[in-house]
Amino acid sequence: MSRIGSRLIGGALALALVTVGGCSSGESVDVDGAATQGGAGGVLTAAIGGEPDQLDPHRTSAYYSFEVLENVYDTLVEPDENLRMQPSLATKWTTSADQLTWTFTLRGGVRFSDGSPLTAEDVKYSYDRIVGEKLNAAYRFAAVKSVAAPDPTTVVVTLSAPTPNLLANLGGFKGVAIVEKSNVESGAIKTKPVGSGPFAVASYTSGDSVKLVRNDNYWNTKPKLDGVTFTFVKDPTVALQNLRGGEAQWTDNLPPQQVPALTDGGELTVQRKPSADYWYLALNQARKPYGDVNVRRAVAFALDPAAITKAAKFGLATVNQTAIPKGSSWYYEYAPYRHDPEQAKALLGQAGVSGLTMDLMVTSEYPETVSAAQVIAAQLKEVGITVKIRTLDFAQWLDEQGRGTFDAFMLGWLGNIDPDEFYYAQHHSGGAFNFQKYRNPAVDRLLDAARTQTDQGARKQAYDQAAKQIVDDASYIYLYNPDVVQGWSKKVTGYQARTDRAIRFRDVALTK
Amino acid sequence: MSRFVLRRLLQSAVVLLGVTLVVFLLLQLVPGDPVRVALGTRFDPQTYEALRTRAGLDRPLVAQYFSYVGRAVTGDLGVSFRSGQPVTRIVLERLPATLSLALTAVLIAVLVAFPLGVLAAVRSGSALDHAARVFSQFGVSVPDFWMGIMGILLFAGVLGWLPPSGYVPLTEDPAGWLAHVLLPAATVGLVTASILTRFIRSSVLEVLSADYVRTAEAKGLRTRVVVLRHVLRNALIPVITVVAVQLASLLGGVIVVEVLFAWPGIGRLTYDAVQARDYPVLQGAVLLVAALFLLMNLLVDILYARLDPRITAR
Repeated sequence: MSRIGSRLIGGALALALVTVGGCSSGESVDVDGAATQGGAGGVLTAAIGGEPDQLDPHRTSAYYSFEVLENVYDTLVEPDENLRMQPSLATKWTTSADQLTWTFTLRGGVRFSDGSPLTAEDVKYSYDRIVGEKLNAAYRFAAVKSVAAPDPTTVVVTLSAPTPNLLANLGGFKGVAIVEKSNVESGAIKTKPVGSGPFAVASYTSGDSVKLVRNDNYWNTKPKLDGVTFTFVKDPTVALQNLRGGEAQWTDNLPPQQVPALTDGGELTVQRKPSADYWYLALNQARKPYGDVNVRRAVAFALDPAAITKAAKFGLATVNQTAIPKGSSWYYEYAPYRHDPEQAKALLGQAGVSGLTMDLMVTSEYPETVSAAQVIAAQLKEVGITVKIRTLDFAQWLDEQGRGTFDAFMLGWLGNIDPDEFYYAQHHSGGAFNFQKYRNPAVDRLLDAARTQTDQGARKQAYDQAAKQIVDDASYIYLYNPDVVQGWSKKVTGYQARTDRAIRFRDVALTK
Repeated sequence: MSRFVLRRLLQSAVVLLGVTLVVFLLLQLVPGDPVRVALGTRFDPQTYEALRTRAGLDRPLVAQYFSYVGRAVTGDLGVSFRSGQPVTRIVLERLPATLSLALTAVLIAVLVAFPLGVLAAVRSGSALDHAARVFSQFGVSVPDFWMGIMGILLFAGVLGWLPPSGYVPLTEDPAGWLAHVLLPAATVGLVTASILTRFIRSSVLEVLSADYVRTAEAKGLRTRVVVLRHVLRNALIPVITVVAVQLASLLGGVIVVEVLFAWPGIGRLTYDAVQARDYPVLQGAVLLVAALFLLMNLLVDILYARLDPRITAR
């Protein structure tokens, strides 16, 4: 009652202030979206949860940047809704008998949004730039020896070892986009990138918005929209308000606790799709006693992933004991753990561990890790493990992860397509992201072999075996695959949420 | 007077130099690695080293500092780690949004606090006085983000009068600007008004008990005249300092409110720069805020001398 009372007072005071502030025309609010909606297609405003750091696709690692760039750039191939690689700038490709030479044929007549032609030279320039300047996606070119452009529509990629997932490496996301040399050299690419995608960047106002306009030089079906404006709204309640009020027509920043109600209601379209992302708990095997597999398995048996998922994601996720979600062609059904505190205690007894205190590092950058940590701590308490939660900001968190100064951490791995990308980096003894210091020669052999195995059946089998061993060894304790949750106005047609979180507005239309 | 201003400006330059050193040293103590944040979760070690070198982070600290200061005196505050854009431009781009929010908020605060504070003092102990005290207690104790959310839900949601967030430049569309600035400015202004109301009330009360006020009343002047002519002029002087300090701190950006309302000001810039450990931007933003503070102080001192002949600027 008193809560309601104070709300009313707050509202009344705010009202008084607005009046005092001299707002004579408070009613005639000119809303952005409405003002800029000219022409046949209209301009869609998308409220995203944060601001791109920059718009150079090869230099940014921020998802917020890629939400914009997905609509501006093209890659040689691109994932369809089932994450299978389909032609994009390349119309077809052939592989040599030894699997070391890939020859791509480019679509003819493709032009950048500024009208200049996109040729094989641009592909070569883009790939050489990533490799030569050691930019973010350089790891995807680890097996690439050289890139050649013998004629304007042919690109030849020469490899040092067979790379069955080359297509995913060259097309999985817009971090390997084909850029324009003059745009890079002028430095304009950071704020006004020029691509060959369905839209072109018209303006970027720091802190406020990125405005895209339809690219009339686009090689594929021209977009129906006149443009897309991305605004940066960090607070989910405010983003939802933008959507309800019509200031925005699309957002992926909905308050999770309200999603079930919104999904039922008729005012907005809210779509949930299981994503290929996974979230996990990792134990530092370089520290005692976590090097003992029994201790790690004990933790796995002590946890109740369903309860963790509920706390962390308000149910907007699927519990999974492996990395890969059901529905992926790489899915391997395996769930050896169940919530069993007695089993956990027995395993801890076998390992000779009692009275353990665990330092668990989580980050405020991902609030779900902070909520999950509370539940994890409560569950481990039941088996006699005292968890000390440390909540850090992401910069410090990454620093400590890199230095290995933790007993345990929780984080996710996003936008997964090919298993090589994540298994090798995280569980191979030489993997760049094996921060938990897992080392199993059998897993190393499987991952090495699968990396160059061109027979898809044999490759799947190798990853299944590796996945089983990784789960049995509890190198990671996998928790869940979160849903992709996006909402849009009823005026928006032709939009589909994607499991890889790529935001594509090329086929979208706005009805009046 | 001009010698006074000149000397103060020189002092300010020294203070600013000190600020750069303190900020630089503090940033070295903050845990967290900007290169790791910039690269996110997927890269190989060579990429890490290459970016470190490009950002100049592999150079000795002393060299980093002196090259920074050397360039800063020419107005070049370096380049952002994250965006690769010149810091001077980034910071100045954010200034109009912060200025419009801060000035509107202070205007709202003064318009509310002035009549409220003065009336509360003059009619000390009355129902109005109590209401004023409840108001200022409310304003300082309720968190601004909560007030902001409530404002958005009421004025943008239920009533639909104002847009929930965003910014429109005053020069582009004055009506749109006003619509967008009102909610965040009222949120900030309410807090500032609460502080000011208390201060004005006590300042006026103090003057009211002074001998010359009693004399004025004894002469038979009406309360209205006494308050307007004698009390206010004297009570105003400390109030100006408080208003100026409030304004200066608002010019530094109101982080929570700017983040909530998606307002492209200095506060949000600072917040993002801290998250990303974007040292050059953080240094630039702090430097700008420090400069604004010094400027406000100087203006207040000059204003003092104008308002009170007993104070001379030397």
